[in-house]
Amino acid sequence: MTHGRVAARPRVGVVKFASCDGCQLTILDLEDELLSIVEHFDIIDFPEATSARSAGPYDVLFVEGSVSEPAHLDRIVELRRRSRYLVTIGACATAGGIQALRNWGDHDAFRASVYAQPEFIHSLATSTPIAEHVPVDAELRGCPIDPAQLVELLTALSTGRRPQLRDEAVCMECKRRGVVCVMVSRGIPCLGQVTQTGCGAICPRFGRGCYGCFGPRERANAAGLSRHLQAAGDRPREEVGRLFAGFTAYAEPFRTMVTELGGTRQARATGAVEVAPTGGGNARQ
Amino acid sequence: MHGNEPRKGADERLYEVGELTRVEGEGSLRLRVRDGKVTEARLGIFETPRYFEQLVVGRTPDEVIDIVARICGICPVAYQMSAVHAFEDLFGVTVDPVVRTLRRLLYCGEWIESHALHIYLLHAPDFLGYESAIAMAADHRETVEKALRMKKAGNHLIEIIGGRPVHPVSVRVGGFSRAPRRRELDAHRPALAEGLELARESVRFTASLPMPAFAREPRVVSLRHPAEYPYNDGRIVSSDGIDLRPSDWRDAFEEFQVEGTNALHARARDGKGVYLLGPTARVVLAAEQLHPLARDLLAETGMAELIRTNIYASIVARAVELVHAFAEALDIIDGYRPPAEPAVTWTSRPGVAAWATEAPRGLLFHRYQVDENGRIAAAQIVPPTSQNQAAIERDLVVAAPNVLDLPHAEATVRLEQMIRSYDPCISCATHFLDLRIEEA
Amino acid sequence: MVMVSPARGPRARPEGPAFLARADLQVLLDLLREDGRTLIGPTLDGGAIVYDEITVVEDLPRGWGDEQAPGRYRVHDRGDERLFGYVVGPTSWKKWTFPSLVPLTRSSRDGHRVSFEPVPLDPPRLAFLGVRACELAALGVQDRVLTAGPFVDPDYAARRANVLIVAVQCTTAAATCFCTSMGTGPEVESGHDLALTELDDGFLVDAGSPAGRAIVERLPIRPATAVEQYGAAATVAAVRAAIGDPVPAAGLHDRLLAQLDSPRWLEIAERCILCGNCTLACPTCFCTSTTQATDLAGTTAVMSRIWDSCFSPGFAKVAGGSFRSRHRDRYRQWLTHKFATWWDQFGESGCTGCGRCITWCPVGIDVREELNAIAPARPPAAEITLVEPAAPSPTEFVTARVTATKAETADTMTLSLEPDHPALSRGGPGQFAMVELPGFPPLPISISRYLPGGLELTIRGAGAATRTLCKLQVKDEIGLRGPLGNSWPLDRAIGRDLVIVTGGIGLAPLRPLIDAIIAERRRYGDVRLYYGARTPADLLYRGELERWKSGNVEVALTVDRAGPEWLGPVGVVTNLFDQATWDGSGMVAFVCGPERMMQATVSTLAGRRLPASRIYVTLERHMECGIGLCGHCQMGKYFICRDGPVFSLAQLGDIFGREGL
Repeated sequence: MTHGRVAARPRVGVVKFASCDGCQLTILDLEDELLSIVEHFDIIDFPEATSARSAGPYDVLFVEGSVSEPAHLDRIVELRRRSRYLVTIGACATAGGIQALRNWGDHDAFRASVYAQPEFIHSLATSTPIAEHVPVDAELRGCPIDPAQLVELLTALSTGRRPQLRDEAVCMECKRRGVVCVMVSRGIPCLGQVTQTGCGAICPRFGRGCYGCFGPRERANAAGLSRHLQAAGDRPREEVGRLFAGFTAYAEPFRTMVTELGGTRQARATGAVEVAPTGGGNARQ
Repeated sequence: MHGNEPRKGADERLYEVGELTRVEGEGSLRLRVRDGKVTEARLGIFETPRYFEQLVVGRTPDEVIDIVARICGICPVAYQMSAVHAFEDLFGVTVDPVVRTLRRLLYCGEWIESHALHIYLLHAPDFLGYESAIAMAADHRETVEKALRMKKAGNHLIEIIGGRPVHPVSVRVGGFSRAPRRRELDAHRPALAEGLELARESVRFTASLPMPAFAREPRVVSLRHPAEYPYNDGRIVSSDGIDLRPSDWRDAFEEFQVEGTNALHARARDGKGVYLLGPTARVVLAAEQLHPLARDLLAETGMAELIRTNIYASIVARAVELVHAFAEALDIIDGYRPPAEPAVTWTSRPGVAAWATEAPRGLLFHRYQVDENGRIAAAQIVPPTSQNQAAIERDLVVAAPNVLDLPHAEATVRLEQMIRSYDPCISCATHFLDLRIEEA
Repeated sequence: MVMVSPARGPRARPEGPAFLARADLQVLLDLLREDGRTLIGPTLDGGAIVYDEITVVEDLPRGWGDEQAPGRYRVHDRGDERLFGYVVGPTSWKKWTFPSLVPLTRSSRDGHRVSFEPVPLDPPRLAFLGVRACELAALGVQDRVLTAGPFVDPDYAARRANVLIVAVQCTTAAATCFCTSMGTGPEVESGHDLALTELDDGFLVDAGSPAGRAIVERLPIRPATAVEQYGAAATVAAVRAAIGDPVPAAGLHDRLLAQLDSPRWLEIAERCILCGNCTLACPTCFCTSTTQATDLAGTTAVMSRIWDSCFSPGFAKVAGGSFRSRHRDRYRQWLTHKFATWWDQFGESGCTGCGRCITWCPVGIDVREELNAIAPARPPAAEITLVEPAAPSPTEFVTARVTATKAETADTMTLSLEPDHPALSRGGPGQFAMVELPGFPPLPISISRYLPGGLELTIRGAGAATRTLCKLQVKDEIGLRGPLGNSWPLDRAIGRDLVIVTGGIGLAPLRPLIDAIIAERRRYGDVRLYYGARTPADLLYRGELERWKSGNVEVALTVDRAGPEWLGPVGVVTNLFDQATWDGSGMVAFVCGPERMMQATVSTLAGRRLPASRIYVTLERHMECGIGLCGHCQMGKYFICRDGPVFSLAQLGDIFGREGL
């Protein structure tokens, strides 16, 4: 990864692979900063926002979405060639997204169940993060990305310093903000301990457990947390597996947890993990 | 990429845009006209499928609410609302009346954010001849700044209730994981009050835009409720007699596959023709339930009939709804007292959970089969844009004669502008869509 | 002593403790808010008692109490009117004296030139109501770290100087408290401006500083009665007794620093998530980082200080990498700093025993337990038996009746017994009983199953006494003492995959373990049983093996010598898994069989990456009494009957398998 100012007024592109557009929208949601941003950055290609198009070269390219179709494979390589600094934004681009849940399964069964003539659908068996295909210079995690982290990245690019994206647990942010731990005080399972911070601890602040949309943090001891949830929380393996089978399921170590604990139907089909009736409902909480 | 030159010999023109811009998602336009007659009108959608209807199988209702939000970054609340109401209908859950109101408030926030985004950042540049709102800001900085303030007011409203504007976290079966405090909403009131004024200006602004010529009789469909502008509740009605419970969408409509393509279209079972959804439909069918401020402004424009027949005028309908959303949000906040509990307890039942709510772009229908273990066994999600496709392609045919005399590039822009009038949200298309209509 | 009437009158100035009626507490709150002070005190918010801005007595958590345990916090209705009937919650006063985000410096750059301007100090005037003894001590600890020099933190010093402290004496303790061990409580002794002790009708009030005395003079107090003083003292003494002395602190510094290579650090690292909650909940932790905020042009910047933690990844990072990248290193750093090297740096313990790190650890790691495990003050205590055994004396036995007999193999019988004492049907898996027939020496026999109101013993007739036992019939009686010894630690296996390796009659003490696993099968991961016998006819419990398989236990059998009908593997039991694909590093193993078989098994399991702390064996020695009085079963520092018979390899160290020990 290179540091130092990228250019005087960097040429910026925003492109999309398989995604919901929410991360791009977060750029447009920087309402207070937007007009200032377009003064410091030359947005040359951003289809959602402008009809002006450009094929590059880009000083900074933001990439949203996962690689999910055959056409994506060549496209990302070509885009990488035309970009000095490539930033992946969002869980789809950094971890494969929720659609990566199909990676455990029978892809053909997926297609067939939705489309009667699946042979016309060109999708890959897997949905994978951009970094599995090309080197990436920086990533903004999240589903969607956090606007403050986006501004921090843009500021860092503009001034030439390393972006301050802390790789620590969501717990740190909860404690700094005085949010009472939902797991300790209410027994609600929370992935915050193994998830990278950046969101400002939204879910615990709003009375529910973190579901890991910023992806696993460094040295995430997912196995330790999983054992604890099963033992102390008296939860069946499959329920703990589903907790990890979320928007960043494909990133390690969440991926191993999903496989071992039977977090998806397909992972369960290969193991002997039973589906415990949930009793359905939220009475437990 | 814009159009080709007509071929020698016949008067054949091809208007083509390989990748539509200023729409949400990835779509293309192709209109082929030979000797003044349309031979091909296609809204191509090449958005990569993500198989959401399969991803939710085996999950629990609360997980589904989190997952389906990811179908769309602009209208995640709509997905959460359709899903949560479907489950609560099956499980027999009655939420606290304050929770019901909070959900309307949340939807107000999304309508504000989505409509402000669309009117000013995506659509208005067409009417004024700019390639983007960014370019437009060079000459109309204040207008764009005001649009951004409205959008921010809507986003912040969602953030107060849901934690963040994109993929909010607090919607749960039975209510919310947390209800906002009065003081949080009160602190936002000034921004919403300002937004209401800016929205009123928006109605006048959009009503004064040069409106391209376009007219046809539409068939419109939306929810309608006797006492409120339609968001989460009411009955599915059409301009010609359909009247259904929101769970019963399939009684009058169906998805089907077009031979030779891999599309899933939607159509009315009665065979009476294509239908359209969205602000135009709602303003036509439910104008009586608009907030008085919005209703009065609509009357002031005198454009109710134009909105009905000229799809380009949907931008005015959207502005009217923007006024409504701000006005209703203020009313709700002024009367708000936090509920005793943010959510009620519930237990699941096996069966079919189905409901439709009004996303900013129109009716959004969800249907889930729930098994004995409280898990999803099968799912069907029909977004408004999927349902609007047939109408879009029909309208391309209607629009064609109006653009034939224009220079090619300008004609193509006018056709894109027409497509944008539907505010298509293509990521919502969980299916891979590729429509083709043969017109005689 | 002169008793002054409790009615209000001209403000008296009593010597000794004063009493403030409950109804007059608001007067104190109002006085605390004079001079522009904001009052911070305990209040109920969501599911916890936190410190926040308060103004009236109604803001206090009247009638609320708390229950705390490792990783668990719940509030509950006490059913009374007490305002301070709980202990410390998730927030500490650090939130105000040492906030999580403090702007430090504004800077700007203009061409070549730079300029720096400290952010002006503007400390709020505060009063803290409800500070506990451990928290007073914590404030003192941070005072020493941040203001005792040679360099002083100006922001902390300024904030600290603007705080008025009203301490509250704890009248209850949580299960996580250990202020007694850390020498910081429960008695409030110094550091306060005012101290309150809550009684039923009001509060004992004590001034600890001139500022406190000035407030007391303006309160409608009267002298406390002897009964009131005695009641207060008795309450505090009860709190001290309830807490006990969980962590013997004498010499802890040296003991802990001598254990930098303890295998326990690695074991903790499996449980610890490195989430940092303990450090941020801790009232004395002071580590911070800076964060920079700049504008897009990069010409102005604000540098701020935020809470950080030695658990976070970048904490020890330099250009070449991190000095403390391994999991176990970070936990070790925290524990040894807090309890040992803090003494060297600051002359006192860094911990004040408030217990927050125990309660608010989401996975329930308990520092008291860890300290006692890593650096115990005395040798490990004998394992506690699960029930008081029947006939716990060398002279007694209780009678038990044979209710059924079953020949398992040619020389092995299982006797089903109904004893005259309930303890014998309520033991743990792996315990044994001393079995006595009149005239025969007593024998230790493993309990091979628990039944409602009874138990089973599986006995191999290898000598005169055992052969006699094997010949018993229904209605015969025998004598029993037990259940004795410790049991297989099944709780260590919850959520993990298990391996059970056994040979011959070694399956008998493992059968109750398998019963317990199947009874709650979903608490455990994969369970694999590897069982070997000399010949197929020597396999025990053949009929049960199928039932265990359908209980989702994987069963693999082998024999040394096969017969014509045997189609399974032949060879030693370790052959069944020495080429297995599973990785034992997360597993627990239970092993029982002839000593040589156990040694070979343990060695193979270690090769499959099972750590010594999670391999358990059960040892057999000559026993005469079974209760540690006859001396026969001594091995190293253990008595097998009393400290075992189940041990982890980590406990045994290299005495396991040593000839002649």
